[in-house]
Amino acid sequence: MEKSKYLEGVEKKDLFAHGHRACGGCGQALAARLVADAAGENTIACVATGCLEVFSSPYPDPAWRIPFLHSLFENAAAVASGVEAAYKALGKGPVNIIAQGGDGSTADIGFQSISGMFERGHNVLYVCYDNEAYMNTGVQRSSFTPYGARTTTTPMGNRTRKKNMPMIAADHGIPYVATATVDDFRDLQKKVQKALAIEGPKYVHILAPCPLGWGHHGELTVEVCRLAKDTGLFPIYEIVDGKITNVRKIPVKVPVEEYLKVQGRFKHLFKRGVPSEEVAEIQEIANQNIERFNL
Amino acid sequence: MDKLPLGLALDLRKVIPYQTGSWRTLLPVNIMQTPPCTHACPAGNDVRGFLRTLAEQKDYEAAWHVLSRTNPLPATCGRVCPHPCEEGCNRRDFDSAVAINSAERAVGDYGLEENLEHKKLIAARKEKIAVIGSGPAGLSCAFHLAKRGFKVKIYESHGEPGGMMRYGIPSYRLPNYILRQELENILKLGIDLECNIKVGVNIPMDQLMQNYDAVFLGIGAQKGLTIDIPGEDTKNVYTGVEFLREVNSGKYVSVGKDVVVIGGGNTAMDCARVAKRLGANVSVVYRRTRMEMPAITAEIDEAMEERIMFRYHTNPVKIISDDDKVVGILCVQMELKEPDASGRARPVPIPGSESVIPADTVILATGQAVDYDGIEVQKRDGKWVSTSEELMTNVDGVFAGGDVVLGLETVSAAIGQGTRAASAIEDYIDGSVESRLSRPPVIYSKDLNTYYYQKKRRFQKEALPIHMRLKHFKELYPPLDPEAIIDESERCFSCGQCFNCGNCFMYCPDNAVKISPKTGLYEFDLDFCKGCGLCAKECPCHYIQMTLEK
Repeated sequence: MEKSKYLEGVEKKDLFAHGHRACGGCGQALAARLVADAAGENTIACVATGCLEVFSSPYPDPAWRIPFLHSLFENAAAVASGVEAAYKALGKGPVNIIAQGGDGSTADIGFQSISGMFERGHNVLYVCYDNEAYMNTGVQRSSFTPYGARTTTTPMGNRTRKKNMPMIAADHGIPYVATATVDDFRDLQKKVQKALAIEGPKYVHILAPCPLGWGHHGELTVEVCRLAKDTGLFPIYEIVDGKITNVRKIPVKVPVEEYLKVQGRFKHLFKRGVPSEEVAEIQEIANQNIERFNL
Repeated sequence: MDKLPLGLALDLRKVIPYQTGSWRTLLPVNIMQTPPCTHACPAGNDVRGFLRTLAEQKDYEAAWHVLSRTNPLPATCGRVCPHPCEEGCNRRDFDSAVAINSAERAVGDYGLEENLEHKKLIAARKEKIAVIGSGPAGLSCAFHLAKRGFKVKIYESHGEPGGMMRYGIPSYRLPNYILRQELENILKLGIDLECNIKVGVNIPMDQLMQNYDAVFLGIGAQKGLTIDIPGEDTKNVYTGVEFLREVNSGKYVSVGKDVVVIGGGNTAMDCARVAKRLGANVSVVYRRTRMEMPAITAEIDEAMEERIMFRYHTNPVKIISDDDKVVGILCVQMELKEPDASGRARPVPIPGSESVIPADTVILATGQAVDYDGIEVQKRDGKWVSTSEELMTNVDGVFAGGDVVLGLETVSAAIGQGTRAASAIEDYIDGSVESRLSRPPVIYSKDLNTYYYQKKRRFQKEALPIHMRLKHFKELYPPLDPEAIIDESERCFSCGQCFNCGNCFMYCPDNAVKISPKTGLYEFDLDFCKGCGLCAKECPCHYIQMTLEK
C-alpha cells in the first residue's frame, strides 16, 4: 500500500517504539511517539521522572529509538540546557533537543528549571504532556488539575483552577508557545516541527488524557481530547513572539457536561444525573476561554 | 562481539521488546460488513466497491468491471432504477445520500462508449439452458449462466429483445440505443437469441424441457388488465402496456386532444408522459391520493412538472362513446375509508358525485398480468408463479424469476432474481447444495464515527427544462460530467470496508498497527496490541471491531 493520501505531511517512523508499559489507550504514549516522529532521528530526548520515563525506559528494552536522558523530577529543563551547552561547546550539531515532562514536573516541581531555561534562552524545545495530575504516583493533585476534578488528594473535587502554563511560558518572552492535543496528530506534529525550526527556547503544551486517572475507557482517549477542545476547556492556539495566532475555532460548541460525563473523575459532580453548581463554574471557565481566545 | 559501552550488560539492539500483547482482553479484528446500499439493492450490486474504485483510482473501466459483476445492465439501471440504495445510504443521516444512481449511469455509459466487454469466469460447459423472455430477469439469468460457461439460448416473443425495457419504458427515460448496446454486449458472451418465438405457442414447452438441461421462465407481466367498465372495447381505449408497446415500436398513435389515464402506478405515469409528448392534454385519474400511489415519487414529481393533471379520489364508471369513438369518461368521486388488505385506504364512492371528463383517448393502466399461453406451472393467487426458495417452479428443472414471480416490480429486482436463478440453476445441474454464501451483517450509521467525514453537497443531475422536454422523446437527463461523478463518489463513507484513512495506524499508542509487507494492508501486531480499542473507536467506517479474546 502506498502511503495513504490522508496521511500526507504526517510522520510515522516509530522512534518511540512498541513494547512500552503504558496502560492501554495511554494519551501520553501516543503523544510521545507523535513528538519523536515529528522531530526525527537527529534528536535527543531529556525526560523528567514521571509516567513517561517509568513506562518507556526500563533496561534492557527501552521504547526510545533516539538518545534518551533520564533526569530527576525537577531538572529535565536544566539537563536539556546542559546538553545544549555541551553541544555548543564541542562545536557539534545542529541537533534537536527536546526536554519532556508531565504536568507535575512542568508546573510544580520542575518549574524553576524551566523558567531558568527560558530566561537563559537555550535552544531547547520543552514539551509538556498534560494529564492534569500526578498519575505515576497514584493520581495526586497537581497545579494543572482542573477545577472540580477528583484525585486521591482531592476526593471531594479540586477547589482551584488550572495553572495557565502556556501564558506563563509566553510571558518569559520566548519566541514560540503552542498548545495541541493528541486527537489532531497533523496539528501536533506541525507545531513540533515549527517549534524545532525556531532558534531559542520553545514550549509546546499537549493535552494527553490518562484513562486510569481520568476514569474513562482507553478507547475514548481521542474522543475526550476532542470534547476538551470543542467545549472550550482546552483552547488550541500558538503564541509567536508574544502574539496569539492560529486559534482553532470551535466548529460546534459543546456544553461542558458532555466532556465531564465521560470521565470518572467528574462523576461526583452529577448526583443522579443532575449537574451540581460546580458544573456551572466549569462552564464559566469554558466561556471565559471562549471569550478570551475568541474560539 | 562489539565492546559494549560502560555500564551496559546487554546489547540493546539484540533485546526483544517486552510483548505487551499478553495484557489484552479484547482483540481488534478487521470485519468486512455489508453496506446498507448493497443490502437495499434488489440486484445486490457492489455499490461501495464501484464508488470506492472511482474515488480512489479514478478509473471508470475498473469501476465498470466491479459493477458489471452483478449487474449486466448498468447504463439501463442508472436511468430507470428507483434507487432503493440511496434510501439505505448511511450518509442520509449525515447530510444527504450519495447520488449512486447517477454514478451508476456514468459508469454504465463509460462502458458503452469504450465498448468494454464482460469477462467469462470459466471455460465452456456442455449443459444447455433455455431462457424464455429477454427482459431484465431473463437477460440477467442468461448473463450469469453464460459467464459460468453454460450454453444459453434466449427465446423472445417480440421482434426485439429487452422485454419491458424495450416495449414498456419510454425512450425519454431509456433511449433505445443505450439498451441495444448493452444487450449486444451481453449477447457477446455467446448467448443465442431467437426473436418472434412465443414459447407455448410457436414451440411447445415440453420440447424445451426435453432439449435443455434447465429452463428459466422470465416472461414478465405483459398483459394489461382492464377494470371491467362499460365501453372498454371502444376504439381509442388502450391498456397501458398496449399503448406503450405501440409507441415504443415506433408506430404513430393518434391520441387526439384529451387523454385520460386511469391508474397510479409507474405504467400510468409513463403513459401520461408519453401522451403529453404526443401533444395531448393529459389527466391522470386515480381513486386514492398521491400518498397511496404506487409509482416512484420522482416519476410523479416529473409528471407534475410536465403539467399533467392529477385527479384524486376519482373512479371511472363508464366510457362514453359517440359513433364508436371515445368522447369522455364518466367518473365518480371517492372517499377513503379504513385500509384494505393491501394496507392502502379503501376508496368508497360518494353517491351523486358523478361527472364527465372529456377524452379522445382512454388509457387503462390499472394493472398487468402474466400471459400464460401454453405454459403450465403452479400459481399463487392465480396470478403469479409460485416458486421454491431456489426459484424453482413445481415443474422439475423449470425456474422462474422477475415480474412473473414478484408481481409488478423494478428492473433491478428482476435482475436480482435472474442472478439468484442462475446460481440456483448451476446448483441444480451440479447437484450441489446452495453454493451461495450468506452476507455478513449490515452496517448502520450508528456504528460509524462520522467525525472524520466532511459535509459536501450532493451531485444533482439536471433535467432538460420543461419547454424543451415535451416536443420530442429525447432523453430527459443529458449526459453527466465524469469529473463531477468522481467528486461525488468521494462522498461514499465506505461503510464496513477500509478506505486507508490511516487512523488506526496513527492513533495506536503501542504502534501495534502495521502495514503488512505481504498484502500492503493494515494489520494488527498482536504481540504488542494491548486491546485498548482506540483503533476501533476511531475507525470511521467500523471496519475494525473489538471482539473477545479467544
